[in-house]
Amino acid sequence: MIKKILIANRGEIAVRIIRACKELNIKCVAVYSSADKDAMHVQLADESVCIGPAKAVDSYLNIPSLLSAYELTGADSIHPGYGFLSENYEFVKILEDHKINFIGPSSDLIKKMGDKIEAKKIAKDLGLPTIKGSDHGIKNIEQAKKVAEKVGYPVLIKAAGGGGGKGMKIVFESKDLEKNIIDAKTEAKNFFNNEEVFIEKFFQNPRHIEVQILSDGKKVIHLGERDCTVQRRYQKLIEETPSPVLSKSERKKLLETSVNSISKLNYKGAGTLEFIYENGEFYFLEMNTRLQVEHPVSEAVSGVDLVKRQIEIASTNTLNLEQSNITFNGHAIECRINAENFLKNFQPSAGRISSCHIPSGPGTRVDSAIYQGYTIQPFYDSMIAKLITHGIDRSSAISRSLRALDEFVISGIDTTINLHQEILKHKDFLTFNYDVNWLTKSDILNN
Amino acid sequence: MEIKKDKIKELVKILDELKLTELSYSDGKTSIKVGKSSTTSPRIIEQNISSFTSANEQAKKFIGVKSPMVGTAYLAPKPGAKPFISIGAKVKKGDTVLIIEAMKTMNHIPSTQDGEIEEILIKDGESVEFDQELIKIK
Repeated sequence: MIKKILIANRGEIAVRIIRACKELNIKCVAVYSSADKDAMHVQLADESVCIGPAKAVDSYLNIPSLLSAYELTGADSIHPGYGFLSENYEFVKILEDHKINFIGPSSDLIKKMGDKIEAKKIAKDLGLPTIKGSDHGIKNIEQAKKVAEKVGYPVLIKAAGGGGGKGMKIVFESKDLEKNIIDAKTEAKNFFNNEEVFIEKFFQNPRHIEVQILSDGKKVIHLGERDCTVQRRYQKLIEETPSPVLSKSERKKLLETSVNSISKLNYKGAGTLEFIYENGEFYFLEMNTRLQVEHPVSEAVSGVDLVKRQIEIASTNTLNLEQSNITFNGHAIECRINAENFLKNFQPSAGRISSCHIPSGPGTRVDSAIYQGYTIQPFYDSMIAKLITHGIDRSSAISRSLRALDEFVISGIDTTINLHQEILKHKDFLTFNYDVNWLTKSDILNN
Repeated sequence: MEIKKDKIKELVKILDELKLTELSYSDGKTSIKVGKSSTTSPRIIEQNISSFTSANEQAKKFIGVKSPMVGTAYLAPKPGAKPFISIGAKVKKGDTVLIIEAMKTMNHIPSTQDGEIEEILIKDGESVEFDQELIKIK
């Protein structure tokens, strides 16, 4: 049984995990950098340990420091949150070797899913639809040309160890292929220390749809899909469930295929299968072997607490929840509030929050770690709050989001609150007429 | 009523020791308040005004690049690479002169005018604040 959890994270997700621990009567330990001594998670946890200086590489990513904090406080498990070490298989391997309970899947599965080429192979074997392209890393330009011709231009060059749009190149004509392969390899080497790249078909108007999975290694259930198509440079901004564009039969097929494929994996914990959706077809993109930022929308419509279920699986090896007991109610939307000036190319805006009012009221949830007088640090992610609203259908969830955004006050820094208001009122958003590139090209950012 | 000279002397001593301008004391029956008009405060205000004026003059005179955000400044595109600029180098408006890392993004900071680099006011890897003067251009 889990009695004390060390949370190897910061910000809103650390607070989210602390809340679950407290409700489960489990002690929780916060770790923090010297820049985060006034942070909310430090104040809410039962105990806290400073693990290093401001830079993440010296604190939140510092494995020896984290393990010392784990020893010092007598914790029995580690929850990684998202980001930082959550998908670092070497970290999880160290924990396994030292019999430390990790709230998440095995290092072996994290490693396989973290390598995009390997993950695609597994997805294909599991029976998931995959994107046409090279099944291995590109060895030379002749091979690249052959693959690109077979797939058909435009093609996308991607880094095997990549993510977040880094090392990605779109090629429209064969004459540009060689130069872009070289550039992509250089970027991949710089960012991920792995120069392996591969080629895939490039989608012109894709939507991003993903499936939330919970599994104890034997039983696999889903918590529906999330549509995360409103993005900026491959960063999600708004997520909702259910997806407004799927038919009943499309949804049923997607969810069943996802559950069936994960059933063959001996996967333990929460996970997400991400897909591209275009012209009525799904294509496997990647699997995230952790809790996701946008998990609260699934919680809203299913009534299932994902963090508590993660802890339950890690604690007892059993998921005491049946698919047949889950009913999906209404529609939920999440807006990610970032400390950025969206009118100045999303320039980061750190600084002191001079006044702060968090919206509340029916169907309104805010996951955040900010408070009046708190100083947003420049060292970490710009996402400072998530507004999640739940309504009986999409239009009532949109109205509720707009009402709550109107109540939301964060002064002293720039935020994306006004951007969300413009998106949620936009006729393209209301008529589902958008893809992952829509916002960048839309009149909201180009006036 | 008896005037408690000793008490007053004691309070004045504390007043001086702690460099206070006013002090009240009460023992339930009597209350004593001692105070003095400060002779030093006008001078402090004067200093403030003069330093404020000189800062203002400096701000007027400063030509170059100021930091648009708080973060960590880097003078080269990556560790070990050639710096974007050096003293005496010619720059054009819009040329990248440094990078500021903030919230996991690398922000290319452009020169605000054409000119020649006169002085680099920060070190590579140094933390910079909003509006901090970074690079002087003539």
